[in-house]
Amino acid sequence: MFSDRTNSVQYAPRAGDLAGEKQLASKDDNFEQMFDLWKEGQEAFFKAQNDIAKTFAQSFTDGMAPQTPSGAETFANWQAMVKAWAPTWDANSFDLSQQATAFTSGNDAWLAMLDPANWTKQVPEQLRNILESISRAPQFADLATPHAEAAAAWRETLDYQNAAAELGKTMQEAWTRAFQRYSESHTLDDLQTGDVQAALDAWLKAANAELLETQRSPSFMQAQRKLLRASMEIKARQREIAEAWCDAYQIPTRTEVDDLTKIVHELRRELRKAKREIAALRSASGGTGEND
Amino acid sequence: MLPQRRNHKGQRVASSEAAMEAWTRAWSQMIETGTKAIKSNVYLAKTSKDEVEIAETPSDTVFQIDKVRVMRYRPLVEPNPDIPPVLICYGLFGRQTMIDLQEDRSLVRNLLQSGVDVYVVDWGNPTRADQFLNFDDYIDLYLGSCVDHVVAANSGKPITMFGICEGGTFAAALVADRPHLFAGLALAITPIDFHGQPDEFWAGEGFLNSWIGNLSEDDVDLIIDTYGMLPGAMTGAVFSSLTPIASMTKYNIGLAAMEGDDAAMLNFLRMEKWIADRPDHPGEAARQWLNDLYRDNQLVEGTFELCGKPVDLSKINCPVLNIYALQDHIIPVSCSKALGRFVQEDLYEEIGFPGGHVGVFVSRKAQGVVAGGLSEWMQRKLVAKPAKKAAPKSKPGKPRKTAAKRKA
Repeated sequence: MFSDRTNSVQYAPRAGDLAGEKQLASKDDNFEQMFDLWKEGQEAFFKAQNDIAKTFAQSFTDGMAPQTPSGAETFANWQAMVKAWAPTWDANSFDLSQQATAFTSGNDAWLAMLDPANWTKQVPEQLRNILESISRAPQFADLATPHAEAAAAWRETLDYQNAAAELGKTMQEAWTRAFQRYSESHTLDDLQTGDVQAALDAWLKAANAELLETQRSPSFMQAQRKLLRASMEIKARQREIAEAWCDAYQIPTRTEVDDLTKIVHELRRELRKAKREIAALRSASGGTGEND
Repeated sequence: MLPQRRNHKGQRVASSEAAMEAWTRAWSQMIETGTKAIKSNVYLAKTSKDEVEIAETPSDTVFQIDKVRVMRYRPLVEPNPDIPPVLICYGLFGRQTMIDLQEDRSLVRNLLQSGVDVYVVDWGNPTRADQFLNFDDYIDLYLGSCVDHVVAANSGKPITMFGICEGGTFAAALVADRPHLFAGLALAITPIDFHGQPDEFWAGEGFLNSWIGNLSEDDVDLIIDTYGMLPGAMTGAVFSSLTPIASMTKYNIGLAAMEGDDAAMLNFLRMEKWIADRPDHPGEAARQWLNDLYRDNQLVEGTFELCGKPVDLSKINCPVLNIYALQDHIIPVSCSKALGRFVQEDLYEEIGFPGGHVGVFVSRKAQGVVAGGLSEWMQRKLVAKPAKKAAPKSKPGKPRKTAAKRKA
């Protein structure tokens, strides 16, 4: 999703570079120092973005099993970015092991919510509550917005899965009742005649009667409605994601095209109305048509 | 241990003998069914989609407004000038090709053979660019313009409007709004009272009414706002789920039952071709269909508006023929028959067709009952009536107080 543009920047290694050690440019060359600083920062930034993008992409393609960078990796990437911009940054000023643990263990609510890997450890009800709280929490401008959006998307996916499971359960119960009905109408004696056509006809008749009853039941209609709403929420989220992508690549979004369509539609309606009014006026004044 | 049994001749037989007999019978039936299925599969394998043709009766486009066209069918016999031309209007949930599915099951051909001048509205293929079209556009502008054209082609004399399903609702609303343009109104499988009489529904009837009634206005808005349109695939899936077992067995047991018979298979494939060609329904019009009509029942409540003007069905003052299907799983009988409450008794007739929603047009029986009944009604009610010039205004009919109870 994000290309690492710094790969295309070519520059010659300097004599002072040491193997396995990052070194800033000569402090006498302010421009070169700024350039390297920018490059290091960009690399770390894009690396971090890439990881996040992969997480998001995985979330929407593989459903509930996202492949995320570990908390330690994310933390290391973040440190690399900070250090690139602040060469005097001392990584030891933090207790790395403690911080990394907090990042993934869920002990620190704020940090834990940034890492979707933590979400999957919860049972569905807890997970949904967490996602709900994250998606509805106050947002501070740009801060954590992508995470809140991801949480909302995840919650919607969960809702859809739950709704599908609920409808599935309703239908499963219907099939069980259908079999019960069939067992009562078509006995073992009937089966032992070997008349499979009669058995099939009896089964279809029983199943049809049961399904028709079920489809009218409040539990079915409630589950059907819930699934419909959940699927619409997912579809709306997909559209949001697609529009973000369109926006990034300067492609008109569905919403923009719809807006334009509506404007054209309303203009045509106004034009037709004006034409009718003109025709009525001409007719009232004795004219016969547009060529008057 | 198997119980003591009797064979198919009623003779007592040993358990082992009974088991062998049952085993033989079961295998023989399965082989027989398998053989039938293979014959149908062989037919499918050798048939290309180009061989499955529908709507072949020749016609010409005589009018167009945006994507909407009026097709005039070429006469098969000398047209009877005393019968007002008929404009047929199908709904937006399917294609008008249903009325001309094949040569021997074609409402259009039957009417042409009766000497009727036949025009048909083709709504085209609505896309998301049409999502903001509403009933004002479809009924007042598009259908109204089509009617204006046919009336003009009929030397300014009133015509017959024949509306089918949603197109029937459109037709009824337009005839109520501009009664002076119509000599007669025929409807088929048309919802008027969208709630109907749920207490009278038979098992399998009225699912659409129940399901849509179970949705909130917000649910409907969510669907339309999300898709822009009401997707044809979605409505197709809903229609299939109205008859669950029939839909599940159509492509296996149903196909096997045809035994590869040429005529049966081709009929089946023509129907499948029509079903597969299900257009998306423009969003705003679908929102009105589901919220204003199905949920709020505005047409019979008298609150449904066209271009800001309430539609009053009691203003229909021409002869009306209302055709409904007694086993219609999509439009309940009581939803259609409700029109009788609004039309003067001496103007109103019904035909209750013993079949399903689509069977009204494609079944063999329908060719006589429906097409024949329609032609006979036109001859009897419309020819005898002295032709009147379409006037700018006409006196509205007296509203009826009670529903019509008789059948034609």
